[in-house]
Amino acid sequence: MSAPAAAAAESLHPAHGDHGHHGPIAWPVDEQFGKATPGKIAMWIFLLSDAFSFSGLLLGYGLLRGGSTQWHHPGEPELGINFTAGLTFLLICSSVSMVMAYSAAVEGNRKKTAQWLFLTILGGVGFLCGQMHEYFGFLPFLGGGPHGLVGEGLVFGHSDYANTFYVTTTFHGCHVTAGVIYLSVILINTLRGKYDHNPAPIELVGLFWHFVDLVWILVFTLIYLIP
Amino acid sequence: MSEAAAAHESHATRKTYVGIFIALAVLTGLEIALVKTPGIGKDSMVAGLIFLAVTKAALVGLYFMHLKWETKVMKWMVAVPLATPALYAVVLIADAMWRRT
Repeated sequence: MSAPAAAAAESLHPAHGDHGHHGPIAWPVDEQFGKATPGKIAMWIFLLSDAFSFSGLLLGYGLLRGGSTQWHHPGEPELGINFTAGLTFLLICSSVSMVMAYSAAVEGNRKKTAQWLFLTILGGVGFLCGQMHEYFGFLPFLGGGPHGLVGEGLVFGHSDYANTFYVTTTFHGCHVTAGVIYLSVILINTLRGKYDHNPAPIELVGLFWHFVDLVWILVFTLIYLIP
Repeated sequence: MSEAAAAHESHATRKTYVGIFIALAVLTGLEIALVKTPGIGKDSMVAGLIFLAVTKAALVGLYFMHLKWETKVMKWMVAVPLATPALYAVVLIADAMWRRT
C-alpha cells in the first residue's frame, strides 16, 4: 500500500483503541465527487433509480389523462385539495425537522438530534394517518366524508382516474412507511450514541426523507392540483 | 469542532433551512391560491402550477439535500437523469393529446 493510501485508510479506519473524537467522519476528497462518501453516492444512485419508478407512474398518469376523452366519470368524487395541502405542509415541516436533526448531529448534540428525528417520524406517521383518512375516512375529527374517497365512489379498478390515483399515492405512501421505519432505526442508534462522532448515516436517511418530500411535491401538483 | 461540523458550517445554517421552509410554505400557499382563483385559463394555470412545483422541488434538492454544495459531477449526475423523464413527459403527453384531437 502506498503511503498516501495508507494514510487515507488510517484516517477512515483508525487503529483499534483510537475511537475517540476522530472517528471515520472524513472521506478523502475525490476529484470528481469531492467530499461525498461512497454511501452518499450510492444513496443518490438509488434515489435516481427510485425517481425513474415514480416517473413511470406519473408518465402513465399523464398519458392516460392526456389521451382520455372523459377523465372524471359520473359518481366519482373530486380530490380534497385543502386537506391534502395540509398533508403537504406536514411533510415539508418534517423535512425541516430532518435537516435540524442533521445539524444537531453534526454538532454532536445527541439529545437534540433524537428530538428532531422523533418529530420527523411523527410527521411521517401523521402523513400516513392523513392518507388513510383520505382513502377510508377513519378519523372523523379530521373532517371530510365518513367513508373517505373509497366510500364516495373512487374505487380501484373502476376507472383510469381511480387506478392512477391509488397506485401513485399508495406507492408514495409505501416510501413514507419505509422512511418512518428507516428513521426509527436511526433514532434508536442515535439514542445508543452510535452516531455521536459520525453523522453520515443521519445525512443518508435525510436524503431519503427529502426525496420522499420532493416526490410528493410533484405528485400533489400533477394529481391533485392540475384541473 | 469536528471535521464534519466544519464541512457542514461551510454550506448550510439553521437560518438557511428556516428561510427555505418559509419559501416552501409560501409557494404551497401560492399553488392553492392559483387553483382557487377564478378566471385563470387552464393553460396558464397548468404552466404556473408546474413552475411552482419545479421551484419547490429544486429548493428541496439544492438546500435540504445539499446538492447546491456538491461538485459539478454530482450535480450533473442527478440533473440529467431527472430531466430525461420530464422530456419524455412533454413529448408523450403532447402526442397523446394530439392523437385525441
